[in-house]
Formats: sequence, C-alpha cells, structure tokens
Amino acid sequence: MTQPRPAVGAPTAWAFPQPASHRLDTGLSVLAYDVPGQYVASVRLVVPFPLRSEPAPLEGVAALMARTLDEGTDAHTSSEMASLLERSGTVLSAATGESGLAVDVDVPMPKLGTALDLLRQCLDEPVFPPNEVHRHVQSRLAEIEQDRSTPARRAMLQLVRTIFDPADRASRPAGGSPETVARVDSAAIAAFHGDHLRADGATLVVSGALPGDLTSVVAGTLGGWQGAPGRVGVETTAPVYAADRARIVVVDRPGSVQAELLVAAPGPDRRTPMGWAAYPVLSFLVGGSPSARVDAVLREEKGYTYGIRSGFRPRRVGGLFVTAGSVRADVAVPALELLLGILDGARDGFTSEETRRGVDFVAKTAPGRYATADAIADEAATMAMDGLTTDFTTELLGKVRALTPDALTQAYREVVDGSWTVVVVGDAESLVEGLTGLGRGDVSVVEA
Amino acid sequence: MVDIAYPIETRTLANGLRVVVSPDHTVPMVTVNLWVDVGSRHEVPGRTGFAHLFEHLMFQGSRNVTSGEHFEALMAEGGRLNATTWFDRTNYFETLPVEAFELALWLEADRHGHLLDAVTQENLDNQRDVVKEEKRQRYDNVPYGNALIDVYATLFPEGHPYHHPTIGSMDDLDAATLDDVHTFFRTHYGPNNTVLTVVGDVDPPRAFEAVERYFGELPAITLPPAREPQVLEPLTEPVRLERHSDVPNDRLYLAFRLPVEGAPDFDAAEIAVDILAGLSTSRLVERLVRTEQSATGVDASAWGFVDGVSLGLFTVDIAADHDAAAVEAAFCAELDRFAVEGPTDVELETAKAQAERWWLSTLASQEQRADLISRYTLHGDDPAYVCTYLAKVAAVTGEQVRAAAAAYLTAQRRATVAYLTSDEESDV
Repeated sequence: MTQPRPAVGAPTAWAFPQPASHRLDTGLSVLAYDVPGQYVASVRLVVPFPLRSEPAPLEGVAALMARTLDEGTDAHTSSEMASLLERSGTVLSAATGESGLAVDVDVPMPKLGTALDLLRQCLDEPVFPPNEVHRHVQSRLAEIEQDRSTPARRAMLQLVRTIFDPADRASRPAGGSPETVARVDSAAIAAFHGDHLRADGATLVVSGALPGDLTSVVAGTLGGWQGAPGRVGVETTAPVYAADRARIVVVDRPGSVQAELLVAAPGPDRRTPMGWAAYPVLSFLVGGSPSARVDAVLREEKGYTYGIRSGFRPRRVGGLFVTAGSVRADVAVPALELLLGILDGARDGFTSEETRRGVDFVAKTAPGRYATADAIADEAATMAMDGLTTDFTTELLGKVRALTPDALTQAYREVVDGSWTVVVVGDAESLVEGLTGLGRGDVSVVEA
Repeated sequence: MVDIAYPIETRTLANGLRVVVSPDHTVPMVTVNLWVDVGSRHEVPGRTGFAHLFEHLMFQGSRNVTSGEHFEALMAEGGRLNATTWFDRTNYFETLPVEAFELALWLEADRHGHLLDAVTQENLDNQRDVVKEEKRQRYDNVPYGNALIDVYATLFPEGHPYHHPTIGSMDDLDAATLDDVHTFFRTHYGPNNTVLTVVGDVDPPRAFEAVERYFGELPAITLPPAREPQVLEPLTEPVRLERHSDVPNDRLYLAFRLPVEGAPDFDAAEIAVDILAGLSTSRLVERLVRTEQSATGVDASAWGFVDGVSLGLFTVDIAADHDAAAVEAAFCAELDRFAVEGPTDVELETAKAQAERWWLSTLASQEQRADLISRYTLHGDDPAYVCTYLAKVAAVTGEQVRAAAAAYLTAQRRATVAYLTSDEESDV
C-alpha cells in the first residue's frame, strides 16, 4: 500500500428528523416524519396501557389480543382480512410489552390510505373469532416450548424469574405462561380489548416520503377510530427486584456443547438522574463489539466464544443491565470468572481514549442508524411507548458528545456494585462444582 | 407499481475491479460494499468451512493494519461494519460518515491486497476457535440447528458445490493450515474477482477517483479457469431423511431444486413458492394453519444460487397431536393441485404486491441497496437490476407460474427432512 492512511474530518452536522405533529379530536396524537426517497410508509401505532393490568389468571391475553386484531372484523372473515392486507402490499404485525400495544404497518406509499383504513377496522371492529383465537393459543403454547428449548431464550426467562420479585409481573413472560395462555378465549380477549384500546392517549407515527394530503388521509381513516371512552393509565410502577437476586441459577440442559451465560443487575431507565446518555456508550465499550472489553478477552484472546454482548435495557421505570453470550462447555467456569472480573473491573473507570471511541461510535453512527423510514418510525414509537418524543433522541446525541471519562465511570458505578444475578444454561453436572467455587452466591439447579 | 430510479454509474479499473457508484445525498453517510466471487461452493474436499474461516482472518490485520484495528478504527469514526460468507460469495461492508470514506477504502484495500503479510498461526488458531463456537451456537446447541445442513445434503448430491454448508465441519476446520490461507488468498482475492459498490453522499467522479487511488495499485490475479455450472435437474423421485431428537415439536423441511437465479423461469418459480406458502394468504397457510390447524406455522422462500441449481425451501411446524405424515400428504396434494390449476388472479396480484413492498423495503437502506447492487453486478453483470426487478416481476404471467410449479414444485420432486420428537416410533 503506497497511499498514506487518510485523515478523517469532523462529521457533517446532522439532527434527528423533526416530525409534524397534530392531535385528532379523538385524542390520537399523529407524528409525521417526511423522509425523502423512502418509498415505503412505516406506520407505528402505540397504545399505552400497563401490562400488569392483565387479569392474573389470564396473563398473555394482551399478547393474544395483539396477534388476533387482524383475524376478522364485523365485515370480514380472517381470510378476507388477510387478503385485503396482502393485496394492497401491506404487512401488519402487533405485539405487547410492559407498557402497551405496538402495531407495525408497512405499505408502499400509494396504498397508505388503504392500509390505514384496514388498521382502523382491526382496531375498531375486531371480533376475535373463537376458531382463530384457538389457533393463536396453540401457536403461543408451541412458542413457549420453543423458548424453553432454545438456550438464549431459556436464559432470559430464568433471568426475569430470578432478578425480579416473584410477585412482580416483570418476573413472568410478557406473553403469558402455559397455564394462563390456555385459559384465554375470545370473550377474554374482547373484554381486554374493550377496556384498553382507545385513541385518546395513543400515538400514530407515519414515516416515509409523505403525500401532501397526509392529514386528510389520516383523518379519513384512523380518524374514525375512537375506542372505549375514558382513559387508561400508563405504566409508571417501579418493578420490585428480588431480595435474593445475587445468586447463580443453572438451567440443566444435559449434554450441551456450550453454556449460555447471562449476567445481569438492575439498571436505569431513560429518566435516570445520572442521565441516560452514558449508557449506550457504556454498552458499546463494555460489550458492543469484538474489541470491546468483554470480547477483547473472551473472544479475541481466549477464543471461548463467538461473541458476548452487553446492554442496558430500560423499562418505563427501572431496567436491566444484561451481558449474554454462549461459551464452549468445558471453559464455562473460567469464562464466567473472567467475565465477572471484566464487568467488576470496569468500576475502576474508562480512559479518555475509550471515551472518545465510544462517544464517536454512538454519536457518529446516528445519521446511518436513523436513515430509513423504518428506523425513524421505530425510534419514534419506542419514545412514545416510554412517554417521550424524539426530542429526547435529539437531545441525547448532544449529551453523548459532552460525556467525560468521569461521567461514564460514575454512571457505571451507579449500576454495578459487584452483585450479579447469573444464569447458566448448560450441563449442570459438569458445572455446579466449579460455579460454587467462584464464591459468587448460592448455586441452584432448575430443570430446562 | 412504484417507479423507482436510483442513479447508477459503473467503471472497471485497469486491474479488473468493477466499481459501481450510486449517489444518495439524503444523509451524510456512505456505504462501501465489496463482493468477492468466492464462497463455500469453491471449497475443496477436506476444507469445508474454509471460505468463512478465511473471512474472519480478514479482520485480524494486514500489511499496515494491526489485528482488530479494522473494526476498531472504523467504529471509532461512526462506522457499522461486518462481513458474511455464503455459498456463492463473501461480502465485506461498512456504513460510515462520508468524511471517513477514504479511510474505509484504505483499510479495505490494505486487507484485500496485502492480507498475507499479517496472518499468523496464532490468529488462525484463535479465529478457528471462534468459528467453532459460532458453529456450536448456531447449529449444534439449538433445536433444529443442523436441519439446513441436512437439507443441503439431502437435496444436492455428494460432490455438488451446495452439498455442504458454509459453516463446514469441525474436522475440516481443525485441518485448516496457514498454507491453506495463503493459497486461498492468492487464488480468489484479487481486484478482478471483486465488485466494489459505493452508495451514499458522494458524487460519482469523486468516488471513482478515490477507489482508483486506493485499489488501482492492487495487481490482478490469475483466476482459475471457469468451469461449467454443475446443473441439477429437479428430483424425479422423492427422497427423505428423518431425525428423531429432542425438539419441541415435529417440523418438516420440504426442499426443491429450482432453476438458477437469472434463468427465465426463476422469478415465476419464486412467485409460485410465495403463493403456495410464503404469504399469510398462501394456500398451505390457508389449509394447514387456518382451516385444519394441523400446523402452527408454514413458511417458504426461494434462495437464488448461481451454480446450476437454486433452492426452494418450505418449513412446516406440526401442531401438537397432529401427525406429520398426514400433514405432509396434505402438503403434497396442495402442490400437485397448484401445478395443474395455477394461481388465481387474486393470488398473482397478492404475490406481486407483497414482492413490491418487500423489494422497496429492502432498498430503503443504503447498506442493503449497496449489497444488492454488488450482488447483481458480480452475478449477472447487471448493476441496475435493483431498478428493473419489479418490472420483471410485474410481467410474470399466471401460466408461467403454473408451468414453473409443474416443472419444479410437485410432490414427486421433493426432498423431505423430518425433525421428529424423540418419543415417536421410528419407521426407519
């Protein structure tokens, strides 16, 4: 290579796109992001409600409502609705989390009105046919079995069961458990729908190369959706973490050729007084790339893993700091010891060189991360579900650029105190003795 | 149909590097995407998985770059990057602020031209371990993880380029040597075996000039003589493989040989696959999932390959208390009926509407647009394919779809790989 290494100039100024926003008479907030060159409209509808408002014996009813919204209306059977959606080029999916319902609709821009009217029908006139509900209950039960047998997903189930207090909704799967899911029927879904879905308080995001008459397209379609009267509260309750969470749980999966490691602690939400800005940077520096602190040792030096990732996962209130990945079975104990040592050791602080790298990664990737209609809509919907707007995203990038090594260190120490909830999915017989020897809390074994 | 028009300009350097530039000034970012014409189909016996292992070594340093620096330097400038290996190619890509465009080219040119200066036994051993963990994580330690490997081995005969998977075997990974690394690089990595695409906030003259500056000095390599494609006709008798293991539910993989991508009837075959099982209104979804509820899920897609055959793959998750054999019989009946009837007008319209949205969504990001441009430049010499694909799909007729289904997608032409829960009686 005869050419010298080129220097890199300062990046061009960029800001998260500004939406045009208005509110319909029904109380539905509309956020419109005009993104030139994006031929597909990305639509997100966010309807906040606390997942903990599900009746306890029927947990999963919200998820099943989400999955059966488009399974038939007063006017159309399940198959007819599927055909109307697909013939217009629409894809619609819906899911629930701790803070409410999120519906995703993607459609080529010329058919936006058609898609929004179909969405209105799904929200306003669903009938939840018993036969379709039965099918989705069976699918959810099959999905639970898949989760149980897939190490990474099984580990997450065990983590929430261990780190949250057993009485807290957060300790159980958002989509319900076999016993509760099996009880859900059409009447239960219709009742939940009637109590929780209304336009007032909901947010519609539309992103893409928008038509000039978007306001009237929305008014003429989703504007017709009111839902039940009154308001539903939003999730503002802090989760209760388990008093005995600092321990190791082994999920026994005899004969596994790898051990899935999951290390977690209670984490911040976006409103933390420490400022959220430090946490995306910390995620990157600790476990966000092959050269981050964790993989620099466990992958690039030791070859124990394909990759281990760390991330701060905010809830509406509180959150989790999670590090997860799989390692070769016969090195699981030394790998965990190294991992805990790296996570604890980061309390000693971050250098200015690391800080610059982390800040630049998070700040300079933003224009690319938010370049598509889809990504912008996702971010706006995530913020809406959290009771925020994308002003938060814009301001965050400014705060990220201003971070110092001290601020990062303080933010990390605020979360990490050396007590960890550890889940290991693997062959218990070969693991328990070594894990006990680490002196990192009680070791117990549960069945997969 | 939405009328799409991405500007595309091309140039070939004196050393054979094909360069495609598609300016897009909507955000101040640029994507650099390289496709090298080497994948697992080029691997020799005893060295399966090598193309992928080699791809890992491309991140471990080159003449002027230390191990891990490629990732680190680009991420610190706001780059998101990776590389992947597939049957037909290896791709390397990064998206980053346009101010770092030339740094990306410099780093890529250094490793694509001068990798061998930095390859060490230590790096090879380390990345061999990493790749083995990748194999364990993705294939060996998850339910159905090895099913696709079984599909390739069942549908494509021993010795065919698609018989073995990209991940390779543990024995072959263990056998890889530094000599293999040197030979592989000299055989396949050269500008005349590569396409470089630039999409983003840069004008074509400047982009061509920058690519020339960093890649122009790389020497062309001597390419192995082109061999004839290893054409495979559809199966004439069904073949099957059954695995009894600890899986959560019975699952069937039904695989078919399709024509190569770019063949006149590939698009029609792909639409047939969608109408049969790729959409939520598809015939098999309607019958097995909605009506009989004997399956909890049905899915399908057509995977376009270049070497004599492509793959049409259907998966069916059998509902609890339903019999996999009965579901397979119903599946076969629907296929054979479709091969006679062909699609209805509504089915054809639906498949095309979904293909349009899928294609437009894929092209929405610079990264994926650049990847598709590289793909169709390397395989088919058609950089503007991203703009013309939808017109080709729109022109496919119902009779062409029926004919493709009759030729490639009948019960008699299937390879079945059945993953069955271990407590069932084995009939093999």
